[in-house]
Amino acid sequence: MFDFFEPFFFVLFTIGIIGAGAAVVMLRRITAQALLMAFSFACMAGMFLLLGAETIALFQVLIYVGAITILILFGVMFTKQSDGDYALFFQRQAPFAAGLAAMVALPVIVLAFSFKDAATPSPRGGDLVALGSSLFTDYAFPFEVASVLLLAALVGAIVLVKRDEQ
Amino acid sequence: MTVPLGAFIAVSAALFFLGAAGVLVRRNAVVILMCVELMLNASNLALVAFARRAGQLGAGNPLDQRGSVFVVFVFVIAAAEVAVGLAIILAAYRNRPTVNVDDIHEMKG
Repeated sequence: MFDFFEPFFFVLFTIGIIGAGAAVVMLRRITAQALLMAFSFACMAGMFLLLGAETIALFQVLIYVGAITILILFGVMFTKQSDGDYALFFQRQAPFAAGLAAMVALPVIVLAFSFKDAATPSPRGGDLVALGSSLFTDYAFPFEVASVLLLAALVGAIVLVKRDEQ
Repeated sequence: MTVPLGAFIAVSAALFFLGAAGVLVRRNAVVILMCVELMLNASNLALVAFARRAGQLGAGNPLDQRGSVFVVFVFVIAAAEVAVGLAIILAAYRNRPTVNVDDIHEMKG
């Protein structure tokens, strides 16, 4: 039964991801853009579920849909947003730029579709055990370094935003 | 009936190109940050897809989750990046109240 639903949900999530992503790039309403970005992230979590990576999907919802979207919304609210945005569209160079972009994009798309062999595995059991054991044995040191990096980012963000009171 | 791996990679590539186009085209610093997040997310999709493929082909340890571990670290980097990036945007905004990156071209202190 899940086999039949898999392509259906893949198409659904693809429309969500690409549609919301295109809206983020092209829209001019900043709050709607931030929320559409969250929607794109949520669809990406569904994509991870289709791939059988439940833990990654959980992290995606927690970190991207939750934390990063809220941070971006704070950034939107703390700054004055002007409307005079995206002047680079529809300039004279646009045809050349489109041609160059297509030259880069087409080989990538062709290469992407050349991976026909492995279909997605049917998800049985979580990936949490494998991920956790890998993260806390082989990658324990990078894990600690990542925590130090997060601490440095936290302190750095506070120092950057703090007002200097004479 | 299953979805081939290439379809996931194609979605990842398309989202990455969208994000890159947004970074190049938009001038609002917050929107540029959003587009960078989209690009990071696209790379995550490719990493997870290839990790699943490697796990299915049975190359080595079935408990090998290197791709997923990498994605976790990308999450960490993305969180740190967006926090520091927004702090920089706010600090620049305090100096000169605009988020238009074309107006912040002077880096003189």
